[in-house]
Amino acid sequence: MTGQDPAVRQPGDDPEERDPGLARERTSLAWLRTAIAFAALGGTVLKANILTGAIIIAIAPVVWQLGRVSRSRSGPADLPRIGATQLFAMAVAIVAVALLALAVAIFGPADPGALRRR
Amino acid sequence: MNKVHRSWRSRLSDLLPQSVAQDAGGTEPDPRFTFANERTFLAWSRTALALVVAGLAIVQLLPPFPGVPFGRHLLGVPLIALGAVVAVVAYSEWVRSQRALRRGEPLPRSVMPWILSFAITGMAIAAAAVLLASAVR
Repeated sequence: MTGQDPAVRQPGDDPEERDPGLARERTSLAWLRTAIAFAALGGTVLKANILTGAIIIAIAPVVWQLGRVSRSRSGPADLPRIGATQLFAMAVAIVAVALLALAVAIFGPADPGALRRR
Repeated sequence: MNKVHRSWRSRLSDLLPQSVAQDAGGTEPDPRFTFANERTFLAWSRTALALVVAGLAIVQLLPPFPGVPFGRHLLGVPLIALGAVVAVVAYSEWVRSQRALRRGEPLPRSVMPWILSFAITGMAIAAAAVLLASAVR
């Protein structure tokens, strides 16, 4: 499947063709960005509810590891082994975090400044 | 037509990781395509997280709208719910695209633009209504 028609494309046109590892690297960077997004959400929640925020921030390194685990032992030429399990876990984590955020939004302090004014 | 008549339960069970792993039809696609599909899922995941952050920030950080007691919740809660929906749809689209890639079929059409454009239009109308209601008062 990796082979391209040599009549259409010269080998080496696309740097990725020589090294599919670049696609792998971009993907692990995408995992890292997603982990950072989790941490940012945790930081926002932290302001309203310290425990909930800490739980969400703790998810961030887990997400990062999730991206590494899926292909840590394969060399650059191997086929990636990305289980549906990892991505399913991600979707479940986001829904759980959204529910936590919903609880904080509805039951938390309406305005963090209001805590001090009270 | 078969697809139309399948029950919700069987469609949902198709999305579970076990059934995805058991579905070995087709051949393993070019790894770059697999990576690209995964990155698309991750990009939608970040979009979902950004929606949750935005909803939370509206409720937590904005000062209350004068005269519209639930204005902030009206705008923030749907955004958070939209984040959860986007995460679930992103996963189901990843499953569908990966299946199509394995079988060499054309990629399925994404429902995400439809969901996002309707939701954002709705949010814009709600935001305008809340602002107008608090300005009129």
